[in-house]
Amino acid sequence: MTGTRDVAVFEGVSKSYNSFLALDNISFSIKEGEIFGFIGPNGAGKTTTMKILVGLLSDFSGDLTVGGLKLPESRVELNRWLGYMPQMVAFQEWRTVDHALTTFGRLSGLNKATLASRIPRVLELVGLEKVRGKKIIHLSGGMTQKLGLAQALLHQPKLVVLDEPLSGLDPGSRMQVKSVLKDLRTGGASVFFSSHILSDVQDIADRIGIISGGEMLKLGTLDELKSHFSVKDDQEIILSHNAGNWKELETAPGVRGIELAGENRLLLHLFPEADSDATINEVIKRLIEKGNTIRSFTPLAPSLDELYLKYVGGREAR
Amino acid sequence: MSLKIMFLDELKGFYRSRVMLALWVGMPLLALLIHTFQPKLQGGMTLTLFATFVVSSISGTLASIMLSVGIIHEKSRGVYSLFLVRPVKKNSILFGKFLAVFSCIVVAGIITILISLLYDHLKGNPINQALLREAGKSLLTGFSTMAISSAAGVLIGTLAPSVLVGVILVLYGGNQLSVLGLLPTMLKLPYPWVFSLGFGVVVTTVLLFLAAFLFNRKQF
Repeated sequence: MTGTRDVAVFEGVSKSYNSFLALDNISFSIKEGEIFGFIGPNGAGKTTTMKILVGLLSDFSGDLTVGGLKLPESRVELNRWLGYMPQMVAFQEWRTVDHALTTFGRLSGLNKATLASRIPRVLELVGLEKVRGKKIIHLSGGMTQKLGLAQALLHQPKLVVLDEPLSGLDPGSRMQVKSVLKDLRTGGASVFFSSHILSDVQDIADRIGIISGGEMLKLGTLDELKSHFSVKDDQEIILSHNAGNWKELETAPGVRGIELAGENRLLLHLFPEADSDATINEVIKRLIEKGNTIRSFTPLAPSLDELYLKYVGGREAR
Repeated sequence: MSLKIMFLDELKGFYRSRVMLALWVGMPLLALLIHTFQPKLQGGMTLTLFATFVVSSISGTLASIMLSVGIIHEKSRGVYSLFLVRPVKKNSILFGKFLAVFSCIVVAGIITILISLLYDHLKGNPINQALLREAGKSLLTGFSTMAISSAAGVLIGTLAPSVLVGVILVLYGGNQLSVLGLLPTMLKLPYPWVFSLGFGVVVTTVLLFLAAFLFNRKQF
């Protein structure tokens, strides 16, 4: 369950690569037990933010505290309870799946007994239990990706940072990984992940941050992001009986237009300044009077894709 | 702790990728083949003395190429990020690699000399104290140059942007740097092998710490 305690707090963090400003004064926090989805166009600063969070990039300005400790100064202590999966997961060619996990587990401070129970557990979680003895170079791209997730979860970190964990996975594997992330949340861990597959982000993220041009454009729950747009303007009406005379509704006060979007599906557009409750009541009344039967009447909420385009669409790629 | 894990891990890597096998079998075999088929090169030397020459001349180059190429390759593929998000000091990655390569090369040198001694013994060449002393001194001087070459390989691996540049730098610079280990012999100092070892330790330490300093500043 999402807690109120912050596990990581960015305050005015900026990062430049020579003269290129990759992150511009971003401030946000990741809460205990939440899944935080991080979205934005290529080159927006997602990977840079994640690398700073896990201590791979140390020359940044601003303040970053993780678990109450300051980064980059406390990197070594913090990494005991951080899990990270980079965008391009790479292992040394000679390693087998088992050997890679053993080494990373030992480096994370796990003893032999713990490793003996954790390795089969994480392999089962990501569906790689049958390739435990295989060399990593013989795994498919998706399997290597999942091994990247397995190594990030091995030491049961409190904060898991995943850079595009769902890219390159087949639909079944995506479902599996999403389920793993939800289980992590249930277990009290926080997950900070980026993705370009917005439907996946919409599915599992408790809060979503939209970054572009190194700036955090918007941050909030999906409902909070949606609330920035007027969703009362458009309504979807599903009829169980379409009497066919719905066009006359256009004369109702507050109605901007009405269109047939399927056999029994109508899209009703209201004037933004209209009293939506009064207009909807009037429309329902008239539809019934004209012999239509209504199955449902729903405000059309924008999807995350539409929100993303709304927030990011107008911004130039850098 | 992380240094020990990294060192043992590298050794395991050499074992699994058959680098150990190539070194430990390849080096004595090379000495034996050249000694057998190029009699002009050996100039009447026993295999033992000839092998000490082979070990000190090629193992340093091998070590520096192994280290520089390995580090550049892994650096460019982003392998280190998975290590550095754990409680691992950046130095441990470099020092672990150095120790693994250096110890493998040293073992390869010792195996070569032992096999050469056995070969000479079977061939009826006398193995006396003087020969053993000479071989031992040469080997110790060789270890000194190997250590310098290995450290140079680590430094080049840290600095070079590509494998090709790394190999060129090893051949241009790293190899020449290892000659520093032979300076006491060239300058005809008393007990040159003692000076050589001391010199090797100092130069190796300086090169390694310079590499560690630069590696610590790198962003992954």
